[in-house]
Order: sequence, then structure tokens, then C-alpha cells
Amino acid sequence: MEYLVVFLVLVVFLQTRITNLQRAVICLASQSFIIAIACFVLGLSSGNGIHALLPGVLTLVVKVLFIPGAIYRLVGKLKNEREILSASNVNYSTTAAALFLVLGYVIVERLLPGSAGRDIIAASILMIMTGLSLMVLRKRAIIQIVGLITLENGIYLLGLLMTEGLPLVVELGVFLDVLIAVVVLVILTSRMRLSFMTTDTSVMKKLKG
Amino acid sequence: MNFNIEALIYIILALPVIFSAVAATNLPGRELLHWLNRIFATAVGGAIILLTGSFNPETPYIGEYIYFDALSMWMMIIIGALYFAFAWTSKAYLDRDTNKRYGYLRRFGRLEGRFYALSHIFVWIMLVVVVVNNLGLMWVAIEATTLVSALLVAFKFTRTSLEATWKYVMVCTVGICLALLGTIIVYYIQLNSIGSANPLDWLYLSQHSSEINPAMAKFAFCFLFVGYGTKIGLAPMHAWLPDAHSEAPALTSGLLSGALCICAIYVLIRNIIILMPAVGIDFISSLCLFFGIFTIAAAVSFVVVQRDIKRMLAYSSMENFGLMVAALGLFVPIAAQAMLLHMFNHALVKYSLFYTAGTIMEEYGTKNMMRIHGMMVQVPKTSCFLLLGIVAILGMPPFGIFFSKFYMIYGFFTADHPWLGVISLVLLAGMLIGILYHILRMLGSQPKRRFAGELFGVIDSMVIAGLLAVSFAVSACLSEITVLNRLLECAARIVLGGVA
Repeated sequence: MEYLVVFLVLVVFLQTRITNLQRAVICLASQSFIIAIACFVLGLSSGNGIHALLPGVLTLVVKVLFIPGAIYRLVGKLKNEREILSASNVNYSTTAAALFLVLGYVIVERLLPGSAGRDIIAASILMIMTGLSLMVLRKRAIIQIVGLITLENGIYLLGLLMTEGLPLVVELGVFLDVLIAVVVLVILTSRMRLSFMTTDTSVMKKLKG
Repeated sequence: MNFNIEALIYIILALPVIFSAVAATNLPGRELLHWLNRIFATAVGGAIILLTGSFNPETPYIGEYIYFDALSMWMMIIIGALYFAFAWTSKAYLDRDTNKRYGYLRRFGRLEGRFYALSHIFVWIMLVVVVVNNLGLMWVAIEATTLVSALLVAFKFTRTSLEATWKYVMVCTVGICLALLGTIIVYYIQLNSIGSANPLDWLYLSQHSSEINPAMAKFAFCFLFVGYGTKIGLAPMHAWLPDAHSEAPALTSGLLSGALCICAIYVLIRNIIILMPAVGIDFISSLCLFFGIFTIAAAVSFVVVQRDIKRMLAYSSMENFGLMVAALGLFVPIAAQAMLLHMFNHALVKYSLFYTAGTIMEEYGTKNMMRIHGMMVQVPKTSCFLLLGIVAILGMPPFGIFFSKFYMIYGFFTADHPWLGVISLVLLAGMLIGILYHILRMLGSQPKRRFAGELFGVIDSMVIAGLLAVSFAVSACLSEITVLNRLLECAARIVLGGVA
């Protein structure tokens, strides 16, 4: 598990540095892949029939294959995009991620001192907060979707560790919701490309007050 | 025909899905689709009436995934009433929107099928929210409402509606993810202090709520409150609400404002009942009161400077949700009953107002209230409904909202929060002045603009008048209608933590 945490933190930090959309999606897929492995490890160690394997398999199918696949296809269509890039945002989100890692460990030490899954909890807090910061600091639609999935992955990992996964029906529902969410967001992003000729959300500032 | 409760619940849950599957194929012709829509919604409405008649509020129905008590019944009545109104006004709205001369959707082909499929599925998910027995499934259903209604908000795919939808999905999904975190913590608490039987089952948890360990409960409650509070539209998290309500098609705005946000309040109530003994009533009460009143204050300040009619109505919804949450935080029986009654009244009146606002938008081709004058002269029927609706929503007698608002304010004084009562009265007065100023400007003075003609038809006028009349009749004669009165009393008892 320690290796998984190291890889996870590495991937999340990488996520904050990447500005290329294709690479961001691949990074997301590898992040979900690590979560899937964590699912299998935790599921098999507690080991109770189908509930042990199903979350891992679902994560693999939904979050590693389908979601990045759908976003990747969309990214392929974004060719002549009017880009409004600012490199400073990248540095902000990396700095923020570093702070969140420290914050995660502080929270774990305060709330659950000496618990076994200390590193994983800290990593999931890092993922939740980094996901949020990606959604707030970055302006491009694809990166915001990636941030949303990162946030969701973080909460999922935390749930996996704290309660060994939710009840089966609820877990299926959560996966279904994530799936629909990505479909809806992909539809919206492609409409955005048609209407605004860009997927930079900073052009959308008409509605105020 | 004699159905038992189980059969009725399954019928209610089956019909909207069947219709949306039919509508999604887009095979039936336009007229047939409109009629099927009406027939299915009326059937669901009839089933809900039968269910209300045969359901005994004291004995909840417990199924494998279903838990159905007085509170669920009350919510189902609200959603059913809106569903019925939706079905009978949708044809008029869609005909207008696809009209060759002025309709916005005239450039597109057959959109009715898609619109109906999404809307009926949206209503169906809200019905699911109020009948499931599991906190996790409630979360799943609430998140699903966000996603389905997002496609409805973006239905016209204009630039502004895309912007509104993007904000809606992003803000609500983040909020709802925090609620998921709260739900996971509740599950963790259950595993640690109660045991792994019946995971996240609401009834089981509420029967064992005194065994919950208080240390983590407060933590969980904060996440749940922020999460579902985002969906309700409480003040610091309300950014999505006015955008989504103003950019959605008018019928969807009505459903969003009337049914969706109170579904979030419903789920919050369910969670509060479980966590109440562990967290302590004072903490919950002060959180609800503060955010409730703060929401009203925020809404008032935005209403005064508003130019967009649907945004103004959205802020008026926010004010009402704020009042409901504040009344929930009082934890006195009269306020809880008034809150539930207010949910009903607000849903009906706000639906009719959004529908009227949609009609005005088609008549004048603008949402900007500053460009509309002399409606009284040009479109007397529409202005009559607008005025009635506005008078009703502001809580003036004799309309239904007067009674529910009155009892909620009365609740502030009986619950030893007289100053908060005074503050909310002042804020409500501000709301009244702000909205009446805009509306009377629109109704009065000389017409300066060409308009598309009076667009209120026969059926939709009857539905809108019916909504206003039902809201009035139910609130004014509540003590005479024994079925509803008993139901409301039981539901209020559940809200205050007395599980049936």
C-alpha cells in the first residue's frame, strides 16, 4: 500500500503541473488505475465474495476505461482552440497541492492519531482538496472535469478505507452517477465548443447578480 | 378498483419511466405524445390521490428498498401536484416555444420527445428520493436529479444557458460530493457504534440514533449541511440557483424551484433526525437559523437590483427556502407544520409564477423587466395571473402562503427567538417592496413595445388558476380536510424526530 500512496501523490502532483489536455486525461486514467488497485488490495484483504471484487472491477471499467476514453475522444476534437493560458495558475495549484498534503497529515494526526491508514487518508484529503483547487483555479473545461473526477476519487478512496466501501446498492448508484455526470459534462463541453469556439470557461461571464 | 399501498407505490414509480422510454424513442406523433404525457401524469396523480386516501399516516409502509411514512407521503403529494400541472401546461408552452413567428425553438426539429423524456425522468427521480429507505440511495437520487435537470436547464443550448448549466453542475456536484463524504462518515459512525446490520437504513438508524457516537457526528453533520445546503440554495452556496432557474425553460424552472430544492430539504431533514441526539439540538438549530436568515437577507438585496424577471423569481424562491430552513431550525411543532405546508404552497404558487413569466417572455421577447410596460393594457389575462401569483407569493391574504408564512413567523415568537422573528419580518417586507416595485412598473404605465399577443390559452389558464385555488383551499381549510390535516401533523412529528 505504501507504494500505491507514493504513486498516488506523484500522480496528483503531476496533475497540477500538466496543461496539455491529452496528458491530463492520461494522468487521470493512471490515477484511477491506482485507485482500482487499492480497491483490489483492500477488497481481497477483507475478502467477502463479490463485494470484494466488484468495486475494483467497476473502477477499472468506469473510471479507467470509459471516463478517460470519453474525455479523450472529446479532446481529440478540440483542434483549433482559442487558448487563454496562464502559466501562473499551474504554479498556484502545485503550491496549493503541497499545502494540502501537509494539511492532510495535520488533520489525520489531530482526528485519528496513530491510525493504520494514515498515509492513505492523507492522500485522499490531498486528492479532495486538489480536485477542488483544479476546479477553482483552472479555467479550462476539461481540466475542471478532471478536477471533479479527482475529487470524487479522493472521497471514494476515503470511503474505501474508512468503511471498506459503501453498501453494494449505494456503491452501484455512485458509479452510475459518476458515469452520467461525465456524459453530461462531455455533452456540455462539446456544445460549449460549438457555441463559444473554445472550452475555456473564463469566457462565460454573462450571468451576474 | 382496490389497490394496496405497495401496488400503488410501484404504479407511481413505474408510469413516468414507461412514458419517458416511449418519449425518448420519438416514435409517437406530436399530438399523441402530448396526450400520452397528460394521461400518464394524470394517472400518477390519481394513484397519489388513492394512496393518500388509503394510507394510514401512523403506520409507515416498509419494503426492501422502500420506506414510506407521512413525511414521504406529503412530499409525494407536492411532487405529484407539480407533475400534474406540468403535464397539462407543457403543450401550451412547447407550442409557443416552437411557434414559427416568435418561438425560440422554431429553428429546431422535433424536440418534444427529448423534453418529455428528460422531464418525466426528472420527476421520477424526485419521487424516488422521497420513497427510498437508505441514506446512500437518497444521495444517489439527489445527485441524479442534478444531472438530469442539467440537461433540461441547458435544453435550449444558448450561450447563457450553457454558462448556467456549467455552473449548476460544477457547484452542485461539488456540494453533493461533500454530502457523500458526510454520508460515508455516517456509515463509519454506524459501523463503529451500532454495528454493520442494515447499512445506512434510515429506519434502523433512527431507532438507534441514541447510540451514535457524538465525536464524529458533528463532523458528519457539517458536511451534510453544506452539501445538501448547496442543493437547497442556502446563501453562501447559492451561486448556481438564480442562473439555473432563470436560464431553464419555464416549466423546468417551476419544477426546479417547486420540487427539487425541497427534495434536498427533505433529505437534510432525514439526516438531521438521525444525527439530532448525537449532535445536539442547539447546534443544528443555530446553524439552520443562521443560514436560513442569511439566505433571506442575501435574496432581498439581490431582488431590489434585479432586471431579469425569472432571476427575480429565483431570488424569491431563495427567500422562501431560507424561511423554510429557519423554520426547520426552530424545532417547534407549529413551525414544522407550517414549513411543510409552505413547501406545498410555495411549490404550487411558484410553478404558476414561472409559467406566467415564461409566457411573458414569449409575449414580449425579453426577460428584461425594464423594457416591459403597460401589460395591463396589452395582455390583461397574463397580467391578471402575474398579479395574483405575485400577491400570493409575497404572503398576502387570502392566498395560501399567507397562512404558512404567518405560522412560521408565529413559530419564531413561540420558540423564544422574537428578535429573529422581527428580523425576518423586516426582510420579508423588503422582499415585498422590491418585488412589487418591479411588477407594478411592468403592469402599469403606457405600453411602449410591440408584443406577440395574449398567449394564455384555456387549459393553461385553468391549470394556473387551479394551482392558486388549491393552495388557498388547502391552507385555509386545513383543519376541515381531515386526511391532509392528520397527514401533516404526523409528518411534522417525524420532522421533529418522533419516528412513527
